[in-house]
Amino acid sequence: MTTDPAGPADSIGSSGEPLYVLHSVERTFTKGGVSVRALRGVDLTLTAGEMVALEGPSGSGKSTLLQLLGALDVPTAGSIRFAGRELEHASDQVLTKIRSEEIGFVFQHFNLIPTLTARENVWIAMVPGSQPHQAQVARADELLDQVGLGLRAAHLPSRLSGGEQQRVAIARALANRPRVVIADEPTGNLDSETGREVIELLSELRDKAGVTVILATHDEEIGLRAERRVRLRDGLLVDDRSVKGARA
Amino acid sequence: MVSVRYAWNELRRRFGRTVVTSLGLALGVGLVMGIVGVSEGLSDAQNRILSPLGSVGTDIIVTRTVAATTSQTTTTTTLPNGSPGGSAVRGRGGGFFAQGITGYGATSSEAASLANANASVITDLQKLGKPGTRFTHDFLVPGTLVTFPSVAVKDVARIPDVTVAVGALSLEALHETGTVPKITATVKTGGETISSKVKQPTLTPAQQQKESACIQKQLQKHFGGFFSTSRAPSRPAGASGASGAGGSRPGGGTVRAFNGFTSLPAVQKCLTPAQITYNEDVVVPEQTITQVLAAPSTNTATSTYTVAGVDPAGPDTGLITRSQLSSGSWFTKNSADEVLVNTAYASTKHLKVGGTLAINKKSYKIVGLVSPTLTGNVSDIYFTLSTVQRLATAKGYVNEILVSVNNASDVNAVSAAIKKELPGATVLTSKTLADQVKGSLSNAHKLANDFGGALAVVVLLAAFLIAALLTLSSVAKRVREIGSLRAIGWSRGAVVRQIMAETLGIGVLGAVIGLGVGVAVCAIIGAIGPGLTVTSTGLAVGASHLDSLLNLKSTGSTSLLVHLTAPVHLATVGLAFVGAIVGGLLAGAAGGWRAARLAPASALRDLG
Repeated sequence: MTTDPAGPADSIGSSGEPLYVLHSVERTFTKGGVSVRALRGVDLTLTAGEMVALEGPSGSGKSTLLQLLGALDVPTAGSIRFAGRELEHASDQVLTKIRSEEIGFVFQHFNLIPTLTARENVWIAMVPGSQPHQAQVARADELLDQVGLGLRAAHLPSRLSGGEQQRVAIARALANRPRVVIADEPTGNLDSETGREVIELLSELRDKAGVTVILATHDEEIGLRAERRVRLRDGLLVDDRSVKGARA
Repeated sequence: MVSVRYAWNELRRRFGRTVVTSLGLALGVGLVMGIVGVSEGLSDAQNRILSPLGSVGTDIIVTRTVAATTSQTTTTTTLPNGSPGGSAVRGRGGGFFAQGITGYGATSSEAASLANANASVITDLQKLGKPGTRFTHDFLVPGTLVTFPSVAVKDVARIPDVTVAVGALSLEALHETGTVPKITATVKTGGETISSKVKQPTLTPAQQQKESACIQKQLQKHFGGFFSTSRAPSRPAGASGASGAGGSRPGGGTVRAFNGFTSLPAVQKCLTPAQITYNEDVVVPEQTITQVLAAPSTNTATSTYTVAGVDPAGPDTGLITRSQLSSGSWFTKNSADEVLVNTAYASTKHLKVGGTLAINKKSYKIVGLVSPTLTGNVSDIYFTLSTVQRLATAKGYVNEILVSVNNASDVNAVSAAIKKELPGATVLTSKTLADQVKGSLSNAHKLANDFGGALAVVVLLAAFLIAALLTLSSVAKRVREIGSLRAIGWSRGAVVRQIMAETLGIGVLGAVIGLGVGVAVCAIIGAIGPGLTVTSTGLAVGASHLDSLLNLKSTGSTSLLVHLTAPVHLATVGLAFVGAIVGGLLAGAAGGWRAARLAPASALRDLG
């Protein structure tokens, strides 16, 4: 539907259809004989194009849920369907491919590769793909432009501020035209001013590119910006409200 | 699919880790190159020294050796005028020289003839002039190599699978200058008159003979000398020792001159009781004893050197070959007047190509200098075979046969055939030579053979292990980075390949540095490496044996000092490169395995 270079390559899930369907999802971690039930049975449906805030205190299971949504992990029970595909029994290869082509990540600690420049950090996400190198580099520059870092493309992360690094991370997340961008506490390491800017950016991108944005956050302000707020506590969904028209 | 740019950036920006890991590999590789180099250097030296037969186109050397017995006593005697008479080695059994030597490969008569040949030098001095005149002469003696007729060479040549058989004559030369000594002394004994009324007991001729023999025996037993009573000894038969006449001919040696031997208790055993009684009161009959004195006496100077006769028409097979010329040329048409000189001997005697050498009033032109190999019967001077035969009055005799065979596999069969054809011959092949060569070179070579390979493997494994450990530790530090890559869509395989690409780069760097280290190690070994000795036991041409018999110092050397080198061959360089790169890849595989095991979720879990 959209021709924005940042948006998803096809139209599945871009017109309000369910992108994620989670049913009785559980995730239990066992370490040294001790079991921790991070998610105890979550039912959730997310629509394409939504900006969703996942909220809850530490230990509520939000990070775990985010990882499941991001195909970084699989549930120990229950089912997850993403863009029509079931994820719970998928192999590491399938999950990797999905992550490569359909999901973008933004982390609290930016997680840029310190030995690569901004441009290279965006490009590195495209390396598993088959485009020619020049096209990849051109796209990297374009994305950096979109996030306002066109002039800093050749800088190493150590030469960039926190906000700038996060922008690079966002550009990286968009490199392969994903359906969804998953951000785990994206403003956690930023001051409030910069944090607002980052959220603004994500919002814009969601608008322009039709990308679904899922944020895990402590920040009330961010929660207010989202049109859907899902709250977790002790591994269970305790609140789920849509706020229509939360953002213009 | 690998990101070379990413790998390059990683190596460049984490330079410390890159260099340390490369150095680990480089050191291992360099040391292995050193070990391989030393091993090859020792093999080279060993081959150079031990293939002298090969280098003279020979596979087998045939000789007939006489070895002295192991139990020997040395006595020093003095002549009555106080001058030293030299020393004699007395073999077991009480006899001097001829009967004391048991021959390996030579019969006792041949041993005696050999003794005669060697000792004839003493009596030959008589020929050089009247006693009291000055002389200079070179006597050629065969040492411990018994000569044999050169027809034996043809017999060997006829054996199947023999390509070529040539004869050679290797001799020890005694160069003597001095005054012709009094060789024989006439000593009168007895003459005292004691009056007695008792009649002299008469003995029948048979009794006389028996008594004479008995006295001889006693004197021999106690004084180690031969005495002829009432008659001067004649020259012993022939200098070439072609046919021994048994041990009873006087071969010369050390004797004691004294008066009145019949009063000795040992001799008295031989006398009849009547004689004993008579002797107490009787005129001791006058006897004129002519004894051979020990030679040389103090004003004769002797020096030794070694000579050999080779076939001038065979420059590729023989004691020396044309390829061993260090300067000058091989014999020409005028070979009878020419000589080749050992390079080492030439430098000590200041002889040069184009100069002359005079032996027994004849001049020989030095046409070339040669450097023969250690175990190939080293001589100082090489004439043609016929010249040497003439100088030693041994026409038609040789004392060595050099044989080359068609194939290496024929050596054993031909050796056996030669032993059958010439019973008692000593047949030497490269293998028996190798067994006889001792010294620190062969010890080191053996050590390198036994342990060199294992040591190299251990060093290489250690280097690989260090590189792998360093890579693993580096991966451990990059957990977050690797987790991020996995999160953004890098497969396990892609991560492993990426890490292996990085360590491949480290391997290449390690190879280049390792090559430098290896070359340096080999150069250092070559510069400060120890000299290794090669000693040939029991093979030198008669020199050491003749020495001990006549107490003369030999000029020939049988010990060689070999400088250890560690050559760097192309194969070693290739090994270095491959070794370092394999090491890098192995380290990468280890690191990649560690990285691939990381679940992306757990990689990011710590990080919130």
